[in-house]
Amino acid sequence: MDMSQYKALFLSESREYLRTIAEQVVALEQSPADRSAIDALFRGAHSLKGMAASMEYGDVVVVAHSMEDLMARVRDGALPFGAGVADLLLEGVDLIDALLQDVEEERPSSLPTDGYAARLASYVPAPEKKAKKPDEAPKAAPTAAEPAQASEPAPAAEAERAKESTTELGGTVRVKTELLDHLINLTGELVTNKQRLLSIGRELASPALNDAVSETSKLLRALHDEVMKVRLMPFEAISDRFQRSVRAVAKKSGKEINFELTGREIGLDRGVLEQLVDPLNHILRNAVDHGIEDGEERERAGKPARGLVKLSVSRDRDRIHITVRDDGRGMEPQSMIEAAVRKGLITPEEGELLSPRQALMLSCIPGFSTAKEVTDISGRGVGMDAVNAAIAKLGGTLGIESEPGQGTSITLKLPLTIAIIHALLVQCGQIKTAIPVNAVQRTVELSRRQIETVGRRQMFQLDDESIPLLSLNRVLGLPLGRFPDGILPLFVTEAKGRRVGMVVDRLLGQHELFVKRLGRPLDGMAGVAGGATLGDGEIVTILDISELL
Amino acid sequence: MTAERLLVFSVGRELFALNLTEVCEVMEPQQSYPFAGAPPYYLGLINFHGNLTALLDFAQYLGAGSRPLPGKLLVIDTKLAHLALKVDAVGSIIDAQSITGATRSEEPLIEALLETPQGNLRLVRLETLLSSLEDDLRAAAPKSAPGGN
Repeated sequence: MDMSQYKALFLSESREYLRTIAEQVVALEQSPADRSAIDALFRGAHSLKGMAASMEYGDVVVVAHSMEDLMARVRDGALPFGAGVADLLLEGVDLIDALLQDVEEERPSSLPTDGYAARLASYVPAPEKKAKKPDEAPKAAPTAAEPAQASEPAPAAEAERAKESTTELGGTVRVKTELLDHLINLTGELVTNKQRLLSIGRELASPALNDAVSETSKLLRALHDEVMKVRLMPFEAISDRFQRSVRAVAKKSGKEINFELTGREIGLDRGVLEQLVDPLNHILRNAVDHGIEDGEERERAGKPARGLVKLSVSRDRDRIHITVRDDGRGMEPQSMIEAAVRKGLITPEEGELLSPRQALMLSCIPGFSTAKEVTDISGRGVGMDAVNAAIAKLGGTLGIESEPGQGTSITLKLPLTIAIIHALLVQCGQIKTAIPVNAVQRTVELSRRQIETVGRRQMFQLDDESIPLLSLNRVLGLPLGRFPDGILPLFVTEAKGRRVGMVVDRLLGQHELFVKRLGRPLDGMAGVAGGATLGDGEIVTILDISELL
Repeated sequence: MTAERLLVFSVGRELFALNLTEVCEVMEPQQSYPFAGAPPYYLGLINFHGNLTALLDFAQYLGAGSRPLPGKLLVIDTKLAHLALKVDAVGSIIDAQSITGATRSEEPLIEALLETPQGNLRLVRLETLLSSLEDDLRAAAPKSAPGGN
């Protein structure tokens, strides 16, 4: 029988199982007596083995079978669930993931699986581990003391299994992601066309046409929302990596960490989700490596020895908030300023002007790092600027709050979708261009009298803050504007933690734009995030201001 | 020479050719919209069936100087790039069999100099053109500058 038609389904389902297994392994480490998680892990390995066997992927069967056997020993009380078991299971997850990659790319597997299987079969936990962590012994004991229940599934596990089958049979279908991309593209084209109809309606001054366009707009908004919902993927599609990366960093730095994740069910656009893995991994690694103190230091400060890192995802209307909060040592704005001055990133005078919030944002300047020791875990101070740039590219913002001694929280605010955005349209010379509204704090029409010259810089006052002026024309290499009436239109944005006024020739208002990628060769152009067609057919580029400045 | 069929076009009194599979459409000139931060041989962006496509004045790019001709637009296959070349004129499609002689060119952009009944052709190496355009864009990246207007 030709099984190739089932390959894609096998791959996506297997990867879902792997994700669940990895999550449950990490969760079980924190509560090793969780009976339903032990059962679910066993079932996950068992199902994976069954699927691989029906597709005749022998290597996957060998690995999944060994994992299932190991879990059976845990389930039957013959083996306590400890760090050693967790390591082996996670190694198995990685091994199967690599094997699936081979299956997907239709290449013969070169990964040896026998050695892994043999290690699992003969695994005996090292006795000294228990001696190191006496507090874990009572937690592990109930697992060992429940062999009688092992042969029958626990009621909770039964209920969970029933829930799973209901979901599977609940009228869902699997759809290729290209089809969803195509749907959002068509919706985007319709949004562009709606703008065109609006322009024609204004020219013709026809009430009937305007009514029809207005109705179309409402339907289009509903269609867009529905298409977006279809494209949303739950945050948990990427969250298992974070649990594992926190675990790995904690282990490497010898710290004990509780990792909590909330909002795993919150949906984000596939395009946004894919771009979040690296930035969030970096923030989490930083939190564990630099944020959380070691056990002794924490106890001296009256904190529990085990540190806490929370990753929470929530939705606020059309934006997603992702917060990484730790209960570690926190950051001191003043020491951030001193470090930035010492490194020559800002002058002492500039440092004095910074608010505490701005001082914390100094960590996003390239080359900034206040870590006393550079470690191989969270890099060499080159990370937070890249994180900030990646979030800005997604149309999001990054905010830092910190209380010395209490911990730090970093919040990312992201759009639900990166396909359709609101942008401020501006005119610079002969060119119209767009700036996503998330990068625009406000627009100002400034009289020349309000401009002060400080050294070589031109500044103006806004909310009791002295803000430097830059010319967007000049940044873009265009002729400078004239402003015969003495009024300079500008928008205020943030660059490197400081507010900046960007002078343009004209502010043309806010527009809803369907963002398109520019493809080769313009894709690699610095400071350009994409392009869009306006209602009258005119094409504009969408600027990435943080990359330009 | 691997291409089976070539599209012949002219720029600044010279004949060029592209592998036909690399071109998806020949169009009449259409309105383009300028954008900032790119070298001057970019005429702007055009809308090609919904794809935002960079329009390159190929004569200016080659340093041959623009000729006062309406010209034609060669749209590169959208799977390879979002790029259209403005050329002076588009000639015929020729079979590889009609090539009577080929010599290597020392210019990186030109894959070979071909002798054909239509005349001598310069076969453009598209990947080199795209990489070179990308390098130029990186070199032309806008720089931040202090001061108001």
